[in-house]
Amino acid sequence: MTPAIRTTHLSKVYRQGFFMRRVEGLSDLSIDVPQGAAFGFIGPNGAGKTTAIKILMGLHGATCGDAWILGDAVTQPSARERVGFLPERPYFYSHLSARELLRFYGQLYEMDSQTLRARSELLLEKVGMARFADEKLGKYSKGMLQRVGLCQALLNDPDLLVLDEPMSGLDPVGRALVRDLILEQRLKGKTIFFSSHILSDVESICDQVAILVGGKLRGVGTVKSLIGNRVAAVELVVRSAQPPEGAELIRSDGSQHRVRVAPDAADATVAQVQEAGGKIIERVEIRADLETVLVDQMAAESQVDGEGSQ
Amino acid sequence: MRRLWALASNTFREAVRDRVLYSILLFTVGIIAVSLVLQDITVGDQDKVVRSVAQGGIDAMVSIIAMFLGVSLVWKEVERKTIYTILSKPVPRWMFILGKYLGMVVTLAVEISILMLVYTVLIGSQQAMPGTVVYMSAVMLLLELMLLTAWATLFSTYSSPMTAGAFTLAVFIIGHLADDIWRFGQQAESAFLRQSSEVIYWVLPNFEVLSLRDQAVHDLPVPWNQVWGAVGYGLLYTAGVLCLAMLVFSRRDLR
Repeated sequence: MTPAIRTTHLSKVYRQGFFMRRVEGLSDLSIDVPQGAAFGFIGPNGAGKTTAIKILMGLHGATCGDAWILGDAVTQPSARERVGFLPERPYFYSHLSARELLRFYGQLYEMDSQTLRARSELLLEKVGMARFADEKLGKYSKGMLQRVGLCQALLNDPDLLVLDEPMSGLDPVGRALVRDLILEQRLKGKTIFFSSHILSDVESICDQVAILVGGKLRGVGTVKSLIGNRVAAVELVVRSAQPPEGAELIRSDGSQHRVRVAPDAADATVAQVQEAGGKIIERVEIRADLETVLVDQMAAESQVDGEGSQ
Repeated sequence: MRRLWALASNTFREAVRDRVLYSILLFTVGIIAVSLVLQDITVGDQDKVVRSVAQGGIDAMVSIIAMFLGVSLVWKEVERKTIYTILSKPVPRWMFILGKYLGMVVTLAVEISILMLVYTVLIGSQQAMPGTVVYMSAVMLLLELMLLTAWATLFSTYSSPMTAGAFTLAVFIIGHLADDIWRFGQQAESAFLRQSSEVIYWVLPNFEVLSLRDQAVHDLPVPWNQVWGAVGYGLLYTAGVLCLAMLVFSRRDLR
């Protein structure tokens, strides 16, 4: 089956400033997003997530490498026939109302007017914007614009939905709405590709994740395979006169202390407590989550940078 | 075609919902009205003075509107990021430029039509009804502005409205002085000056070729041969500049 998104050695170099300094926005990105997947694209700010998405959406040209959407090269506008896209912090024509805006976008997809009208009303209703649909977008709040943004992204009932930071700037109700819409699309068998730095959302929605740090792909796979059996920390409940040195104290109750230590320091802490005549009451391993994986990758990246600059 | 229509009609709608445009339009109607007052305080051929001032007012104001719309046509879309949700749909970049441009030309055509209607009513009520040449001159004004705004669109694809405005104004001024620049160049002793003036003359437009202002003011017959040549020149030149705008825009990264 043709992948929903395929990139091979995709790179982007920008020239910045008066002296045209070379800045690498994206470096050698090769990923395959299978059809029907909910694919999360995570990384810190400036990791290259938006750059990659802009190349996929034809807004930027790649310096080298290739990318395809549903089998068509992204350089062809026709590749975006079956795609819906919500940019980060979407901006729309302030002189139009939500209804007029959707009509305009529908015409760009060459939808017939009957389908367009029915689809617009359905989506406006779904995101709770039907009441405000005739007001000018210039009067809308950020959350309302995001909802209209979702409507335009879903207007053509796309096979692939590309969302750039869809949760940013939304209140909990808005976030739940986005999550529900994504899950609904997923149930319909549509592909969802979205970037986010709210990792709990990614973890709950996605079945596959790519980690991007410093423009480079640092890991790709299922959430489970990326996290694996990694232990983020070890929590110990210790009975001793003093809490063990070097451990992060969570709670202390007289002679009983709950502390957290790094996994590789756990054995040494246990030995230290026992040597001092203390007792280990409880030892719990805290499982890693996506955040741990991402933070590790960022630490590895800064270490490589540090070594490189020495 | 529906996509092109959607882009053009949206551009038109945006322009007609802009209050600045109405202010300029109202100001122009004011100039036409004031020109009638001149009838009472002018000596000599009063009718011609009135026609000259009114038509000059229309030309100047519509040119200002054209530049005002043209220099921010593409830049505004990129700067406000409204373009992201357009080009991420199956819309080729050339179509985006063409759609925006056509929307602007329709806006200008409507503006000129409204002003010509006002002109006909106001001037026609005081003098004889304007002849065909006046309306031909209005069509030629539209053609001139189509060419000017094609340049503005080209500048707008890669620079801010301030820079694009400065460049467009330069094209506007040089375009109206093209014949003088040619004559000046031919009289110059320096070969460099001569060649420079020739390059400017051939590369930049000659708006005077497209003008029927004198004929309109003096109510002279329409020189049809000259008109058809000018129409061909104007349309071909406009198409060329627009193609260049599309080419420049097709290579641009949209930040």
